[in-house]
Amino acid sequence: MKKLKLFGTLILLPATAFCRDEEVTKNSSYFSNALFLTMLVIMILLAMLIVAFSSAFKNIADSDYLINKYNKENTKRSDAAKTIVSMIILFSSFSMLGQGNTILPIKDDWRIGGLDQFTFYFMLFIVLLELFVLALMFYQFNYLVKTAKALSDLPQKKKESKLLLSLTDSVAIEEEESILLDHDYDGIKELDNNLPPWWKYGFYLTIVVAVIYMLHFHVFGTGDLQIKEYEKDMALAKLEVDEYMKNSANNVDENTIKLLTEPADIASGKDLFISNCAACHGKLGEGSVGPNLTDEFWLHGGSVQDIFKSVKYGWVEKGMKSWKEDISPMQIAQLTSFIKSITGTNPPNPKAPQGESFKEAGIIINDSTAIATDSLLKTIDSLNAKK
Amino acid sequence: MELQKFQYDNKTVKMFAYATIVWGLVGMLAGLIAAIQLYLPAANLSLPYTTFGRVRPVHTNAVIFAFVGNGIFMGVYYSLQRLLKARMFSDLLSKVHFWGWQLIIVLAAITLVLGKTTGKEYAELEWPIDILITLVWVVFGWNMFGTILRRRERHLYVAIWFYIATFVTVAMLHIVNSIEIPVSFWKSYSWYAGVQDALVQWWYGHNAVAFFLTTPYLGLMYYFLPKMAQRPIYSYRLSIIHFWALIFLYIWAGPHHLLYTSVPDWAQSLGVVFSIMLLAPSWGGMINGLLTLRGAWDKVRDNVGLKFLVVAVTAYGMATFEGPMLSLKSVSAIAHYTDWIVAHVHVGALGWNGFMTFGILYWLIPRLFQTKLHSQKLANAHFWIGTLGILLYAVPMYWAGFMQSSMWKDFTPEGQLKWQFMDTVTKMIPFYIARSIGGALYLIGAILMTYNLIKTIKAGTFLEIEEDEAPALKGDYVSHSKDHWHRWIERKPIQLMIVSLVVVAIGGVIEFVPTFLVKSNIPTIASVKPYTPLELQGRDIYVREGCYTCHSQMIRPFRSETARYGEYSKAGEFVYDHPFQWGSKRTGPDLAREGGKYPDSWHYNHMADPTSMSPGSIMPQYPWLLEDQLDGNSTMAKIKAMKRLGVPYPEGYENIALKDMEKQALKITANLKEDGIETLPDREIVAIIAYLQRLGKDIKGEKTITKK
Repeated sequence: MKKLKLFGTLILLPATAFCRDEEVTKNSSYFSNALFLTMLVIMILLAMLIVAFSSAFKNIADSDYLINKYNKENTKRSDAAKTIVSMIILFSSFSMLGQGNTILPIKDDWRIGGLDQFTFYFMLFIVLLELFVLALMFYQFNYLVKTAKALSDLPQKKKESKLLLSLTDSVAIEEEESILLDHDYDGIKELDNNLPPWWKYGFYLTIVVAVIYMLHFHVFGTGDLQIKEYEKDMALAKLEVDEYMKNSANNVDENTIKLLTEPADIASGKDLFISNCAACHGKLGEGSVGPNLTDEFWLHGGSVQDIFKSVKYGWVEKGMKSWKEDISPMQIAQLTSFIKSITGTNPPNPKAPQGESFKEAGIIINDSTAIATDSLLKTIDSLNAKK
Repeated sequence: MELQKFQYDNKTVKMFAYATIVWGLVGMLAGLIAAIQLYLPAANLSLPYTTFGRVRPVHTNAVIFAFVGNGIFMGVYYSLQRLLKARMFSDLLSKVHFWGWQLIIVLAAITLVLGKTTGKEYAELEWPIDILITLVWVVFGWNMFGTILRRRERHLYVAIWFYIATFVTVAMLHIVNSIEIPVSFWKSYSWYAGVQDALVQWWYGHNAVAFFLTTPYLGLMYYFLPKMAQRPIYSYRLSIIHFWALIFLYIWAGPHHLLYTSVPDWAQSLGVVFSIMLLAPSWGGMINGLLTLRGAWDKVRDNVGLKFLVVAVTAYGMATFEGPMLSLKSVSAIAHYTDWIVAHVHVGALGWNGFMTFGILYWLIPRLFQTKLHSQKLANAHFWIGTLGILLYAVPMYWAGFMQSSMWKDFTPEGQLKWQFMDTVTKMIPFYIARSIGGALYLIGAILMTYNLIKTIKAGTFLEIEEDEAPALKGDYVSHSKDHWHRWIERKPIQLMIVSLVVVAIGGVIEFVPTFLVKSNIPTIASVKPYTPLELQGRDIYVREGCYTCHSQMIRPFRSETARYGEYSKAGEFVYDHPFQWGSKRTGPDLAREGGKYPDSWHYNHMADPTSMSPGSIMPQYPWLLEDQLDGNSTMAKIKAMKRLGVPYPEGYENIALKDMEKQALKITANLKEDGIETLPDREIVAIIAYLQRLGKDIKGEKTITKK
């Protein structure tokens, strides 16, 4: 009866996971959360350890004496093991539903390391529980080993752990004659033990899950297939980014960009240049695979706005990739400002000019940056000097 | 009843055992070399033959087909005779089988090093070798069935069910996956293209694991484990159910290698659910193995062979638990393309196959040479070094895979990718180093074993003539009234083979046939055009150099991938890809939309020295591409072959293909010249640039238009 109940709950679990879908509007996947994943891995590893440990346990604890003495503990242990196993199954039935079905509300004050409090404490609880069980088992194991060693000289009537027998529904070794088949292949005989119940019901369970899975995704259409999942994920990401950018100084685009003059900005721009651009445009911007960025000739315009655009969207047909997925708008602004700052620096081995000449004059006249440019040049000189 | 006397053939068993050891060492060494190159690309000695893209297939083929393959035959030839109470059917066939298989291995090693490859993972061997494999496999089956039909044991033991299923299924997998059109003696194109090719290939690849690395070894477990433990098999009915369930379910699970790719959703879902259901049948084997040891655990302490077997069966259990977990889409989304998968397969390969083989060798060699193992101590040392090696291999790879995947998926709050691909590569290097140490330990263990076994062999005398006796089978079998229903098929080897074939064929048929028949599964895209002759030649170089061993060409529909690589891949983009080159690992970035990302000169410099264009790169240098002349004469034959495969080149195009090729090559050399690079238009580098610049461009144009 107990078994049946447990079984029923497990089957119903995926259904509860489906329901959660509707409650939440703005959310992101658990599986993109590093903390969640780490805890999940720890949980699984610990559970595996417990299983491994308990099998070692059984092997040690197979004498009459030990069985009698530790019967109580054994029952306790089996309960703990059952709880953990069911939790693991519970858990995997969640994860089975694919990315993005399990979701968490975004409310910063409710989060711990990006997880909602319930999930965090729930997982923490399981990890601690597992650790506790392990510690308990380790303690008992040590004791058992010691006792077993002491007993090993005594004549023993081997008897198996009742736990093992009940878990596997097998016939005890001393009675195994009753299920020994008359097969004999080169001396190999065969017993005919029952299928271990947990194995059999586990098998049934996976079949049920498989059927539910196919129904969910391909018959009722209640699950999102990958493209739908992708589109939802993208929409969500856009919402999040927009929300963030609303309150962020980072919000620059090709229309609002202004030349930055703070030495710190230029320095960050330089760092970005070295790590991202130097491979093609040369360490000093002299050009190699890509065009020279230090002369006054530009293929796609030399104004701050133009350069910003070139970096942001790229000129894909000519081999300049779009950088907007790699570096933030503010960083592009810094990079643009750095590139502007190296105009006319005449580095060695320059690449021949390409494109049209662009004179800064037109912009400088009605702009206070004229003065700024002077100070900028000085900053660059000092930067170069440092190098 | 009259007893018949007969002799067992131990000589073939001995030869297979020697081959197992030798090829094992070779295969593991190749693996170690490949592993070292991942942090020390210069370890390829600047030779094309020893570069990662070629060494990796040598490693995988050597350990799977040479090491494990010979291990299977060793175990089958030993156990089959004894389980059937009959000598092998024909000594000649045994000889042909042994030498034929070794010939295949030698040919494989030579051709793979020379870059003769079909570009399909674990099926890289070119068509003449494929035919040879088929022939030798038939010889094996013939010899096995000949023996079965002359048996003196009425019923077939469970180990033999597994051998039979292995025989029929591997034959089916190999033949179906290897259908290819020869272009020349050492070059062919896969009959299938794109999505279909991917489905067939991973149906094969997954089931090569199932029916070459798993079922035959389960058979070996069913013989050698109870032999060593001297205990009866735990449960006959568990054997029956897990055998049939395993072979039926395994064959469906192939698409779990292709989750979130352009393979139709329904095929992916089938792959997922069958993988989930596979957990119990797989564990059935483990349970039956471990519970057979009930009451014999004290023997595990003393018998080193048994010790290896116990770890092997446990590793099998771990790998087959992890497998279904990795098949869940949410887990696959993290683990696919990373070193996590590498860790997973090595738990299976090093733990299950490797340790099982070692365990059997430690038990078998002393028996064949009528002596005791030279040193128990050394064997124990091997056990611990090997176990430590596995741990040191697997743990860093799990960690690395998980970490790299998380980094690939990281976004800043502003919505940009947090890490450049290169950042994630440099983070991997310490893990790669740790992994190679683990691998080296494992190899050292194998060397210890070799020494130990040589000493044993020297000390003993080979038992060439081993006699046994058994009554002949006479007349019809009269069954007892309470016989298990399954006993019927155990008496009927041919029926058993046919039923197995039907059972394994069902999954394959249901999965392929719709993709072959129903057009809607592979939406065609009008703008997708066949490769130009130069691009086709470049593609063949890409295949030859094994670029697919490190680069995928499949952008999954994830935000993190479309942001990094561009629009996600569509099924219709691959309709002319014979073979598909989706890859299974991203040691380097995805290349599905590489076309137009960088100028031609970038690629030229990058091939000459990858670190010049992307500092920190662990890609090897390809100086030979810059110097070697492209074999233009093959162009006509290649275009012809492609036309026969249904690629719509215009009528008579093969005649003008060479001219077109030269035209395109001149354009690229002109481009290069603009950036100050002088090269002749007939160099291989020009072709590979043409191919790389084409990748993913067919629908790229459309996309930029709609995107504004």
